[in-house]
Amino acid sequence: MNLAEGVQIVSLGVLAFLMLATSLGVVLLDNIVYSAFLLGGVFISISGLYILLNAGFVAAAQILIYVGAVNVLILFGIMLVNKRQDFTPVRNAWLGKAATAIVCFGLFALLSTMVLATAWPISSGPIAGDAALVEIGKHFFSDYLLPFELASVLLLMALIGAIVLARREFLPEEMVDSTDEVLTLPERRRELTSTPRQ
Amino acid sequence: MDFANLSAQLNAGAILPEGIVIITLLVTLVWDLIVGRSSTKVTPYVAIVGLLIATGTLFLQWDTTEPISFLGSFNGDAISLIFRGIIAISAAVTIPISIRYVEQSGTSLAEFITILLTATVGGMFLSGADELVMIFVSLETLSISSYLLTGYMKRDPRSNEAALKYLLIGAASSAIFLYGISLLYGLSGGETRLSAITASIISNGLDESLGLVIALVFVIAGIAFKIAAVPFHQWTPDVYEGSPTPVVAFLSVGSKAAGFALAVRLLVSAFPLVSDQWRFVLTALAILSMVLGNVVALAQTSMKRLLAYSSIAQAGFLMIGLIVGTDAGYSSMVFYLMIYLFMNLGGFACVILFTLRTGTDEINEYSGLYQKDPLLTLALSICLLSLGGIPPLAGFFGKIYLFWAGWQAGAYGLVLIGLITSVISIYYYIRVVKTMVVKEPQEMSEAVANYPEIQWNLTGMRPLQVSIVVALVFTSLAGVLANPLFNLATGSVSKTPMLQATEPMTPVVSQAPEQLPMPTVESVDL
Amino acid sequence: MTTGIDLQASFVQILEQFGLPHGVAKLVWLPLPMVLIVAAVTVLALVSTWLERKVSAAAQQRIGPEFMGPQGMLVPAADVLKLLTKEDIVPAKTDPWLFTIAPILVFVPVFLSFLIVPFGQNLVITDLGIGIFLWVALSSIAPIGLLMAGYASNNKYSLLGGLRAAAQSISYEIPLALSVLAIVMMSNSLSTIDIVDQQSGYGILGWNMWRQPVGFIIFWIAALAECERMPFDLPEAEEELVAGYQTEYAAVKFMLFYAGSYANLVLSALLFAVLYMGGWESPIPVSWLAGLLNVSETTPWFQVVSASLGIVITLFKAYLLLFLAVLLRWTVPRVRIDQLLDLGWKFLLPIALVNLLLTAGLKLVFPGAFGG
Repeated sequence: MNLAEGVQIVSLGVLAFLMLATSLGVVLLDNIVYSAFLLGGVFISISGLYILLNAGFVAAAQILIYVGAVNVLILFGIMLVNKRQDFTPVRNAWLGKAATAIVCFGLFALLSTMVLATAWPISSGPIAGDAALVEIGKHFFSDYLLPFELASVLLLMALIGAIVLARREFLPEEMVDSTDEVLTLPERRRELTSTPRQ
Repeated sequence: MDFANLSAQLNAGAILPEGIVIITLLVTLVWDLIVGRSSTKVTPYVAIVGLLIATGTLFLQWDTTEPISFLGSFNGDAISLIFRGIIAISAAVTIPISIRYVEQSGTSLAEFITILLTATVGGMFLSGADELVMIFVSLETLSISSYLLTGYMKRDPRSNEAALKYLLIGAASSAIFLYGISLLYGLSGGETRLSAITASIISNGLDESLGLVIALVFVIAGIAFKIAAVPFHQWTPDVYEGSPTPVVAFLSVGSKAAGFALAVRLLVSAFPLVSDQWRFVLTALAILSMVLGNVVALAQTSMKRLLAYSSIAQAGFLMIGLIVGTDAGYSSMVFYLMIYLFMNLGGFACVILFTLRTGTDEINEYSGLYQKDPLLTLALSICLLSLGGIPPLAGFFGKIYLFWAGWQAGAYGLVLIGLITSVISIYYYIRVVKTMVVKEPQEMSEAVANYPEIQWNLTGMRPLQVSIVVALVFTSLAGVLANPLFNLATGSVSKTPMLQATEPMTPVVSQAPEQLPMPTVESVDL
Repeated sequence: MTTGIDLQASFVQILEQFGLPHGVAKLVWLPLPMVLIVAAVTVLALVSTWLERKVSAAAQQRIGPEFMGPQGMLVPAADVLKLLTKEDIVPAKTDPWLFTIAPILVFVPVFLSFLIVPFGQNLVITDLGIGIFLWVALSSIAPIGLLMAGYASNNKYSLLGGLRAAAQSISYEIPLALSVLAIVMMSNSLSTIDIVDQQSGYGILGWNMWRQPVGFIIFWIAALAECERMPFDLPEAEEELVAGYQTEYAAVKFMLFYAGSYANLVLSALLFAVLYMGGWESPIPVSWLAGLLNVSETTPWFQVVSASLGIVITLFKAYLLLFLAVLLRWTVPRVRIDQLLDLGWKFLLPIALVNLLLTAGLKLVFPGAFGG
C-alpha cells in the first residue's frame, strides 16, 4: 500500500528530526529545566519510533515509564532543589567541548560504519503486532522466567534502599545528643587527623 | 502442571542456594519490621547462618550432572559453584565485621544487611548467568545494591560523594555493557543464550565482522569497571574512601569475584571467535592495573585508599590466570581469589577495628600500635604481608601458582611484570607493618597514645574479633595446608565443560613454549 | 453480540458509489473519526460543565443558570465564547514558550485517550491491542504539563500548585493502574471491547462491580484524585494557592486547562463505566429483550436500535458518575496534602496490591466466574 508506506516514511522523518532536535537541545541548552522538558520530548519521539515498528505495547510502556515516571522525577528533583547558582565560566572551555565533540563524532562514525558494514541477520518470522503482548508474557514465564523473578528482588531492594536514603531518621535516645556524628563515617576527615608526635 | 513437576522441569534445584539467601533476606526484613530496632541482636546472625547454609548447599551440588536450569538462563556448573561460594562467604564474613561499624554510626543494621544480601544474590546469580538478559538483570541487582550501600552513611558528604560517583560511572558503564550485549543479540540474530550465540554468529557469517569486535570492546569496558581494572578504575579510590569500610570489604572481594565470574563465562563462551583480541585487550588491562595500582599505592596516606589501589593491583594479578586460559590458569585464578577473600577481608576487619577505636584511617596514625594492641597488629601485619606475597603466608602460594601457570603458558612478559610489581607492592605493605611495629614509644601517634581500653562486650565487637581471628588463622595456614583449596580450584575447572571445550592461549601447552611464540603477548611485551 | 454495523466499511462503500477510488475514499475517512471525537468530547465536556453548575446549585438549594437557553443550557457556549474573545495575556517575566506549551500538553493526552472509549461493539475509534494501557500511559504525560505550567508562570502559588498536582497525579496513578490490572487479569485482554464483552450476557449481574468491589472503590477514589476533583482538589485549592498552576492563565490557555479537566472527568467516568459497569451493556441483556420482542438480533432495525441504545446507556452511566462526583464536591471536605499522599501510598496502594493478589487467587480457584 503506497498510502501506508508514504505515511510511514513521513512519520519516520518527522520523528527522527524531533528526536535529534530535542536530544541536541537536552545536551546543548544552558537552562537545566529546558533540558529536562526536552528529555520528555526525546522519550516521546522514541515511543513514536516503537509505534512505527509495530510495537504498541513497548511504545506505551516507554511513555508510562520514561515520561510518566523518570522524567517527572527528574523535574521534581530540579524544581525542589532550586539552586540558582551562576557557574563561573571556565577558561578555554571550548577545548573540552571540542574534544567531546570529536570523540562523539568519532564514536558515531565508528558505530555507523559498523552498522552499515554488517549484514544483520533479520528475523523472517511473522510480525507479532498486537499479539506481541501475549508473546512477551509467554517469554516472561518460560525462558526469561529467572530474570523476571530476579527483577522483583531488585525492585524490592531498590524500594527499600530509596526509603532508607530518603526517610527521616528516628534515632535511639542515646544518640540524639551527638547529632553531628550520627549517620556519618567513623573515620574523621583528613584535615582533622593529627600528625605523629615528634 | 503441579509445582513439583514444574520445578523439576526447570531444574529449579540449581538455584537453591540463591533461594536460601533470598529467604534469609526476607526473614531479616520482616523480622526487623515486627521487632523494631532491637532486632539487631538476631538479624545479623540469621543472615550469617543463611549464607553458610547456602554455601553448604553449593557444596552439595558439587557433583551435579545437570547444571543447566531455567531453560538455559542459569548454569550451575562447577566454576559457578566456586564463585558463588566465594561471594556468599565474603558476605558472611562482611556481616560480622559490619555490625559494630553500622551500630556506631546510628544507621539501621537490618536494612544494611538486607541490601548486602541482595548484592550477594545479584553476584551469585551473575556467576551462573548463562543468558544475556539474566546477566544484565543480575549485574544491575549487584550494582544498584552496591550504590545504595556506598551511600549508606547519608549525612556524611564523603559517603554521598562516593555514592554519586559510583552511581554515575556505574550507570555509564552499564549502558556501554548493555550496548555491547545488544550488538551480540543483533549479530546472532536474536539469540540470548551464551552457548548458542557463537554458533549463531558463525552460521550468519558474521564471525569476522567489525560488530563483534566492537561488542567485545564494550563488554570488556563493562566488566573492567566491575573488577576495577585500569583504566576503568577511577571510581575505586574515591568510592573506597567514602564508603562505609565493611562495604568496601565486600566490594573488593564479593563484587570483584562476581566480575571475574562474569568475565570468564562471557568471554569464554560468547567470544571464542575473537579470543586473540580479548586476550590482547585483557593483557593490556592487566599490565596497566598491576603497574598503576602498585605504583600509585606507594603514595597513599590513607589506609582505605592504600587498600583500594592494592585491590586494583590484585585484579591485575588475577587477570593473568584468565588471560592464559589454560586449566592451570583458571584454577590458579580461582585459588588466588579464595585466598584473597580471607586476607583482604581480614585486612579490612583490622582497619575497621582500628577506625572504631580511634576514628581515623591515616597510615601515620597506626604508628606504635604494637604496644597498645598486639592482636590487631599481628592480624593486620599477617594480612598485609600475605597480600604482598611473603612466604609462608597464603598469598605467597596463591601468587606462585598464578605466576607458574602464566609462565607455563608462555606469558613471560606478564609474569615478569607481575613479579616486579609484587616486589614494589611489598614495599608499601611493609611500610604499614613497620609503622605499627618498629616505632619507639615516643614516636607513637596521638590516636594510638589515646587508645581506649578494649571493650569486647559492646554490641558487635565479639563478631568482629571472631572474624579477625578466623581470617588470621586462615591466612597463616591456608598456604601451608592448601591441598583442599587447591583440589577445589582444580576440580572446579576440570568439571566445567565450558572451560574444557575452549582452546587455551597456546594451542599445545605441554610443548616447550619457546617454539610457539605468542603474537598477542609478544606485541605487548616489554 | 456484534451489532454488525461497520461504519468505516459502509462509508467507504458510499463514497465509492460516487465514483471515488478506494484509496481516496479511505483517505477521506481517515480524519473523520478524529474530527468526530474532538467534536463529541467538546460537547460532552461542555455538557458536564452545565451539569456541574446545575447540580451544584441544587445541592445548595439555588436555581443555578436559568435564562440562557432552556434551563440555562447555553451557559457553556457563552463561556466558550467569552474565553475565546478575551485578551490572551502572557504575564511579563513568565517563560512564554513553556507557558504556551503547558496547557496543550495537559489537554492533548486527554483527548487522545478518547480513542479507546467504546460506545458499542464497533463504535470505537481504534480497538487497540493495548487498549486501556494506552490511557494509563497517556495520563502519565499530564504531570509534565502541570509542572511546566507551574514553573513557567514564575509565581510561587503556581509552582506549588504544579508540584502538588504532579505529586498527586503520579501517586494515584499507581493504585489506579493496579485496580485496572485486576480487571485486565479477569478479562485476559487490555482491549476495552474485550473487557466489556467479558461482562456481558448477564445484564447488571455480570458487571465487574460485583466481582471487583474493592477495585471499584479504589478506582473511583483514584480517578477523582487524578481529575483533581473536590476532596482532592489541592492543586487549585483557592484558599491556599489562589488557583494553583492556573493562577496566571487567561483566555484560550485557561480554557484548555478548563476543558481538559472536564474532558478528563468525562473520560474517567466513561472508563469507569466501561471497566466496572458493563460499558454499553444495558442492565437487562439485549438478547433477552430481543427474545421478548420476538425479533432476531440480526434484524437491521434492531441493530440500529441496540447500537443507539448502547451509546445512550454508556453516556447515561458516565453522567450518573459525573453527578456523583459533583455531589461529592459539595458534601466532602478537602483533605490536606499530607493526608492525600498518606491515603495514596499507605492505604490505597497496599489495598490495591492485595486486591490484585486476591483476584489472581480467585481466578485460579473459580476460573468460571473470574475469567479463567
